[in-house]
Amino acid sequence: MKKLVSIFFAGFITAGAFAQAQDSIKHTELQEVIVTATRNERTMGALPMPVTLVQKAQIKTMGSLRLSDVLTEQTGLAVVPQVNGTGNGLQLQGLNPDYTLILIDGEPVIGRFTGSLELSRIAVGNIKQIEIVKGPSSSLYGSDALAGVVNIITDRPQGTRGNFFTRYGTNNTLDLSGDYSQITGKLGLYVFGNRYSTDGYDLSPDNYGKTVSPFRNYTGNFKITYKFGPKTDFSLSGRYFDQTQDFDYDVAAANLDEIRTSGAGTTKDWNLNPVLTHRFNSRLKATARFYTTHYQTQTRLNDVAADTLYYKDDFKQSFARPEINVEYFFSESNILTLGAGETFETVQTSRYGDEATRRQQTRYVFFQDELTPFKKLSIIAGGRFDYNSIYGSQFSPKFSTRYEVNDKLSFKASFGMGFKSPDFRQLYFNFNNSAGGGYSVLGTEVVGDRLAQLDAQGQIQTYLFDPALIGKLEAESSKAVNAGARVQLTNRLAADVNLFYNSIDNLIETQVVAVTTANQSIYSYRNIKRAYTAGLESNFTYPLTKKLNLSLGYQLLYAKDKDVAEKVANGEVFWRDPVTLVTKRLTPGEYFGLYNRSRHMGNVKLFYSDKQKGLDASVRVIYRGRFGIGDIRGDIQGGTIPSSDYNNNGILDTHDQFVDGYALVNISAAKTIRQGIRFQTGIDNLFNYTSPRYIPNIPGRIMYMSISYSFSKNQNNN
Amino acid sequence: MNTIKSIFSFLFVAMIAASFTSCKSDDPKPTLTATTFSNLAADPPSGGYNPNNGQPIGVTKKFTFFSFKSGAIVANADSASTKWDVGFNGTGIIVNSGTSGPGTAAAQVVTGIFDELLTAPDAGYLTDNKSVSPAFYAITRGSGNGWYSYNPSTNIITPIAGRVLVFKTADGKYAKMEILNYYKDAPTSPTSSSVDRYYKFRYIYQPDGSKKLSN
Repeated sequence: MKKLVSIFFAGFITAGAFAQAQDSIKHTELQEVIVTATRNERTMGALPMPVTLVQKAQIKTMGSLRLSDVLTEQTGLAVVPQVNGTGNGLQLQGLNPDYTLILIDGEPVIGRFTGSLELSRIAVGNIKQIEIVKGPSSSLYGSDALAGVVNIITDRPQGTRGNFFTRYGTNNTLDLSGDYSQITGKLGLYVFGNRYSTDGYDLSPDNYGKTVSPFRNYTGNFKITYKFGPKTDFSLSGRYFDQTQDFDYDVAAANLDEIRTSGAGTTKDWNLNPVLTHRFNSRLKATARFYTTHYQTQTRLNDVAADTLYYKDDFKQSFARPEINVEYFFSESNILTLGAGETFETVQTSRYGDEATRRQQTRYVFFQDELTPFKKLSIIAGGRFDYNSIYGSQFSPKFSTRYEVNDKLSFKASFGMGFKSPDFRQLYFNFNNSAGGGYSVLGTEVVGDRLAQLDAQGQIQTYLFDPALIGKLEAESSKAVNAGARVQLTNRLAADVNLFYNSIDNLIETQVVAVTTANQSIYSYRNIKRAYTAGLESNFTYPLTKKLNLSLGYQLLYAKDKDVAEKVANGEVFWRDPVTLVTKRLTPGEYFGLYNRSRHMGNVKLFYSDKQKGLDASVRVIYRGRFGIGDIRGDIQGGTIPSSDYNNNGILDTHDQFVDGYALVNISAAKTIRQGIRFQTGIDNLFNYTSPRYIPNIPGRIMYMSISYSFSKNQNNN
Repeated sequence: MNTIKSIFSFLFVAMIAASFTSCKSDDPKPTLTATTFSNLAADPPSGGYNPNNGQPIGVTKKFTFFSFKSGAIVANADSASTKWDVGFNGTGIIVNSGTSGPGTAAAQVVTGIFDELLTAPDAGYLTDNKSVSPAFYAITRGSGNGWYSYNPSTNIITPIAGRVLVFKTADGKYAKMEILNYYKDAPTSPTSSSVDRYYKFRYIYQPDGSKKLSN
C-alpha cells in the first residue's frame, strides 16, 4: 500500500515540476453540462456535490463496449462479482450494488438479481455521456439512490449523421452497431441498434462448463423529438434488449453428486418514455413524462442424462411512473424545482413459491431550490417525500453548498439522506430448503401467515423474537456527508479531493426468527445491521502537452460494521490462530471491515489525442487493493470458494487470508482517416491477470480490432 | 569455543534444576497447568450423514461423560452418578445437574481469554433445567449462542474464540475449559469431508475447592 501512495506522490511531484516549465492550457471541463445532480442542465464546475463525467470521446478511445467496461475504470467505483460469482454489480463509496441507482436518461433501469444490476446489459454505442453523482440522491430520485446515481445520457437527434461500427476480439466476441440521426423540420429522429455475441470464457478448464457461458444479445433504441411550437417540445424514446445465453455445466445435487445440465437463459427488457416540455414564459417551465419499463428472465436447465427438466426459473418485473415537474426562475440566482409522481411496480416469479403478481406503489413529491446569494456562494437545498404502500413514508432531505474562493480554489460540502425500500425478495421470498436440512427463508409479507399456520399445527418450538415484531420491515436509510475542494495547483495541475462519510442504518439481513419442533430454523428479513463507509477520493489531472493528458485517481476506504467495530472497541471480539490454537483479543486496528472492499483503489491514465493527424490512444492502469471474500457456497461450476475468514471468528481481520491486490493494464490506439473511417486496436488486461476463484468477472487478456465509418451532413459539426 | 558452550549449557541446566527444586521446597501444592484433551468422541455417526437431508446415520444419542477430577471419560453406564461433571453429544453440552443428572454441577460461558481468566466468577452459574423452557441448558445451544458458531454455507462448526466455559463440578470444585476444535485430529481448516463430533479442548481443574484457576 505504501508503494502505491509513494507512486502517486512521485507522480504529483513530477507533475508539479513540469507545470512550472509551461503554462498555457486552460481546463474547459468546468463548462460541461450535467443533468443528474439537479435534474436540470447545469454546468459541472458549478455543482456543489461530487460528480464524475465520462464523455463519448473518452469511451471511444477506451474501446469499451459495455457499461461495465467503462465504470470499472473510474476512480472510487469497483465492479464486483455478484454473490454467486457471475455477473457484475457496482460498488460506489464502498456501498453494495443495491444502493446505487442506475438510470438511463433519468429513468431507472430495473431487473436486479440479489440486489445488483448486470451492467453488461447496457451497450455504450449510443451513450453521449455517463454522469456519476456520489452521495445520497434520494432527495431527487427516491429509493435506491442511497450511495449515489449513475445516469446514462443517450444520444439525441442532431443533424443528419450516422455511424457503423464493428469490433472483433478474443473469445470470438463480435460487436456490430449502428446509429442514425436526422432532423427534418420539426421532427428529429435517432435510432441505434447493436448486436453483441461472445463465446464466453473458461477460467477453470478442469471443470466441465465455462466460467461465462456463450451468449448473444440485441439492443435497440430510438428517440423521436417533435417541436410543437417554439415553446413546446415532445420526445418519445424507447429501448429493447434481448439476450440468450447457452448453459452447459454440472450442478451439485443435494447428495453431492454432479448432474450434467444443459439449457438456456433469456433476459429481455424494454422501456418507453414520452416526455412533454412546455415553457409557459421566461420564468416557468414544466415537464410531464410517463415512463414504463418491463424486465423478464427465464431459465430452463435439463438434466442431460435423464432428459428431464432439472431447473426452471421465471422472473417478471414491471415499473411505471408518471411524473410532472415544474421549474420556476425567480431570478438567475434563484431557481425552484417542484415535482410529483407515482410509481407502480409489480413482480411475478416462480421464486416466491407461487406465480402471483405482487405489487407496490409509491407516491412522491419533491422540491429543490438553487440559490446563489452572491457570486461566490451557491446553495442547493431540496427534499423528497415518498409514501409507499407497504413500508410507509420516507423523507429525504439534501443540502449542498459551494464556495468559490477564487478561480483557483473552491470548496464543496453536502449533506444528504438516502433510502432503499425493501425489495420484493425481502417481502415475498418463500423458500423451503427440503434438501439442505429443511430450513425456510420467508419474506416479511409472508412470514406472519406461515408462522401462524405452523403454530396452529403445534410445530413451533420457540420464537426468537416477539411474533408481533416479526414481519415489520423498514426502509434501509443513510445519512452522508461529502466535503471537498477543487484546487488549481499550477496552471495545468488540478486536484479534486473529496472526503466522504456514509452512515447506514436499518440494513436488512436474514435472521432466524423461529425454530420448529423438528429443529429447523425459519429465517426472515429484519432491519438489524448498521454500517459506515468513510474515506477519501482524489483526482489529479495534468495535461503533459496539448495532446497528452495524464490523470491520477485514488480512493481510500474504510467500510465497517458498526456493531462489530463497537464490540472490538469493547474488547469483546477474539481470534484464534488455527495452527497454534492461541486465542487473542482483536484490537480495533486489526478489524479490517466489510468483505469485498479494498482499502486502496487507484488508477493512472494517459490519454493521447491528435485531431489533425486523426490519432488517439490510451494507456490505463487500474489498481484494486487486497480485499476479503465472504461466505460463498460455491462458484457456478460447483467448486467451493473458501471464505477469507481463515480464523473463523465471523469477521474479516488482518489475520485472515485476503485476495491479493491487482492491477489491470489496458491499452488502445486508433487512427481516423478521411471520410470518417476509423481503425482501432487494443488490449485489455495486457498482462493477462486472472483470479478464477475469487474474481471470475475478469476474463483474462482481451485483444480486439475495430473499424467504424461515420458520416455527417454538416461537416463542421464534428 | 566448545568449552564455553558446555559451560553455558551446564549453567543453564543447573539453573533449570534449581528452579524446579525451589518450586518443590516452597510450594507443596501441585501447579495448575492446562491439560489438553484430544478427540473426545461425542457420538460421531457411524454411518456418516444422509446426503439428502443432512441427518446423521448410526448415532447412539448417548452422551460422552467427562470428569475433571480424573481427567478422563466416564463410562456411560455411570450416567446416574456424580462421577461425571460434563457430557457431550454433538454440539450439545450438558452438566451433571437438574434434568441432566443427579449432581449439582453448574456452568457458565464467560467472554474472555482462557489464560486471562484467573479466578472463577462468584455468581452466574446455571444448571440444566428443562422445566424453565424445553431447551434450557447451562451451556446455551444454537449457533452463536454458546460455545460454537455454525456456518450454513460450509456446514462447518467452529468454536467461538474468546469463550471460556467455567464449571462448578459435581463435587463443588471449579474448572475452566476452552474448546479448540470439533473435528477429528483437529484439522486447521476443517472441510465438509472432515469427521465431526470430536472435541479438542483444554482445561484447568482446581482440586482445592478455591475459585483460583491459575498459578
